[in-house]
Amino acid sequence: MTKKRRIPRLLQLVLVVLGIYLGFVLTFDVILGQVIPKSLLTMYMFFVIAGVLMVFTFTEESAQELIGPIKALVEDPSKKMVRNVVFVIVPLLAGVYTYASLMPSFEAPVELRTIHPAPPSSVKAFGKRFDLATLENPYRKFEKEDPDKFHKLVKQGGEIYIQNCQYCHGDRLDGKGPYAAGLNPTPLNFQDVGTIAQLQESFVFWRIATGGPGLPAEAAPWISSMPIWQDFLSEDEIWKVILFLYEYTGRQPRSWEHE
Amino acid sequence: MRQINLLKLLVIAASLLIVSPTFAKPGDVDRGKGIYDKRCTWCHGDEGDGTGAAEERLNPPPRDFTSGNYKIKTTAFDEMIPNDEDVFRMIRDGMPGTAMPGWSSLLSEQDMWDLVAYVKVFAEFEEAPEQQVDYGTPVASSPESIAQGKELFEDGDRCVECHGKTGKGSAIKRLKGDVSERTWPRNLTKPWTFRGSNDPKDIFTRISTGIAGTEMPSFADPKSKKMLSIKERWHVANYVASLAKTQKVVNAENTVIKADMLEGDLLPDSPDDERWEQTIPTTFLLVPQIIGEERFFKPSNDTITVRALYNDKAIAMLMEWDDRTKSIPGDERAEKIADKPIQEDGVAVQLPVEIPKKMQKPYFGMGDASRPVNIWHWKSGTKDTAETVAMINSRGFQDIEARDAAEVGLQAKGSYKDGTWRVVMVRPLTTADPENDLQFVEGRFIPVAFAAWDGSNNSEKGSRHTMTTWYWLLLKPSTGAMPIIMALVIAGLFAGALLWWARSAAGGRKPQADSKEGTA
Repeated sequence: MTKKRRIPRLLQLVLVVLGIYLGFVLTFDVILGQVIPKSLLTMYMFFVIAGVLMVFTFTEESAQELIGPIKALVEDPSKKMVRNVVFVIVPLLAGVYTYASLMPSFEAPVELRTIHPAPPSSVKAFGKRFDLATLENPYRKFEKEDPDKFHKLVKQGGEIYIQNCQYCHGDRLDGKGPYAAGLNPTPLNFQDVGTIAQLQESFVFWRIATGGPGLPAEAAPWISSMPIWQDFLSEDEIWKVILFLYEYTGRQPRSWEHE
Repeated sequence: MRQINLLKLLVIAASLLIVSPTFAKPGDVDRGKGIYDKRCTWCHGDEGDGTGAAEERLNPPPRDFTSGNYKIKTTAFDEMIPNDEDVFRMIRDGMPGTAMPGWSSLLSEQDMWDLVAYVKVFAEFEEAPEQQVDYGTPVASSPESIAQGKELFEDGDRCVECHGKTGKGSAIKRLKGDVSERTWPRNLTKPWTFRGSNDPKDIFTRISTGIAGTEMPSFADPKSKKMLSIKERWHVANYVASLAKTQKVVNAENTVIKADMLEGDLLPDSPDDERWEQTIPTTFLLVPQIIGEERFFKPSNDTITVRALYNDKAIAMLMEWDDRTKSIPGDERAEKIADKPIQEDGVAVQLPVEIPKKMQKPYFGMGDASRPVNIWHWKSGTKDTAETVAMINSRGFQDIEARDAAEVGLQAKGSYKDGTWRVVMVRPLTTADPENDLQFVEGRFIPVAFAAWDGSNNSEKGSRHTMTTWYWLLLKPSTGAMPIIMALVIAGLFAGALLWWARSAAGGRKPQADSKEGTA
């Protein structure tokens, strides 16, 4: 038998489990920016530990190697000092953990958010009904037909935006306006590929015209600060703002036709 | 040896990277115009004169570049022209506390240098500035330096004249900006509103240059009676940096006001009660009411700090917010400093009539048809009338019902000192009318929102006010001794099991060793 210097099996096990845990945290919390819920992470780690234990105790020999140091700690008289320390620390940790898990945390309840609720087939605004499946931006056609006129409409849309929307959605259209931090849920970031680029103009029109209070019943958490813009803006003004949103961010609205 | 040298070199290179000043790069005026017309014109206007579409609804108003005034500059006080790096910095980092964002997330560095080149054209700045701020030998912050700074700050009303003794800018003067707009002295206890950061070096620069386009003068100007030496300016800068009040900082994570239980004691019914000191403050952002008629765009209040205590009978909440002006209609001094017509200051607490069983709360703007809210509204009073507290129930802006506060047992008491309002409201936990009044229950998360009015600022009244979104109020239940008992039991069990294991293992090997301790 060659005695290679290597990491003890027990430490290996701990390192593997810790590595996977940090991997999860790094991938989700840091790289993807989507924090894993604690309960989900606990479940993942349960399976990870079970799996790793299975691998590490696959043969009798490997199991012995794993348990060896633990047995030695308890049984080997020469390890008395270490044993005493471990025997104090382990019950203490168990006690602290019990205390911490029994103390109420007083964390705020988690509120899930539906970002893009399914639109109804038709909506009421400006005292009439709009069929969202056929509704189109009446100014969109000028993009090709009359670029000069289109440019003017975009400019007007921008002026309406800056007078009304920038407080929350921001000068950069990134959802970080001067008052954004004081709102919950936070204002939508139009620069993000997951927002207006995924939507049809009719959907955006609906969300602007009827605002937070116009959200359907399933659109948790129902507390959007989005004003009911039909109270402040005309239909035309809303369509111009929509032109501006797409133009400024360089995004294209989704459409039924595939070109 | 070589290695050590390399290491040294690396350290020097790294420290250079960290502290490296931004070196000006030449910008292209034509490219700058293209970017300006897409990004900046909305506020600053096509001609750079600050008359973009947003002009009327912004406070402070957008900079008029043709005036040549730049608030943040590092050239000497008598030098009009800023350094390119100064303009670059304002574009890159934005102006905290204003609508001007930092553009580095959207624009490249070259884009921003091109903008610098174009923006300077509006004021016809063609030559490079000659005089720079002289920083001398910086004085590091220390208790001695701060103490000296405080003395200079107060001496002869040097800074106190506008910023007030506590630095909160509690106004005794009406100040004006260069487009004759109303300006407020900076509240120095809120460093996140400093346009140019609260790093002592930045503060030193502001003290030395003054702030162009405002009434903030230069304290390096030898013609000023209040002039300070370089060393003295460092002391004042260190003192100003030390004024930051951390409990007023908004922590986005902290959305719960935790009310502690006061056993048996009477609740504090005055803002000056010492027991408030022991409670945990929670601070929220106030945003102007821009969602319903009449929309309000130019607020002055920006944060509110809340504390709460309760006993078996009632709950007391302390609302604290910095307000530079005590607005008392009828009072000559207050009227003089206020925008006309002056109104009362005020604060309101909004609570749902019923604690939501599931997630859905009432609409945060005064409730909705199926989910009404209670609103407790305190007003500061006028010269001839005392402070008042009103109680209303509402189901939205349109559907408001006045209630009798005294009947519900709602009381309020406010006090104003050194630029801060502190108002206590007390209400019994339960009332005789559970259909119309929130019944407080400990251990439940109760939605709560706030509103505030500064009667001296743009006549804030009615729907013209600042407000918060929903946060939470929690009456912290006493947990009793259960957790500590369970913790001791579990720790004991673990210790017992380990001892038993060790003993049985040892017992198998050499039975005599442990016999003197007795056998299990």
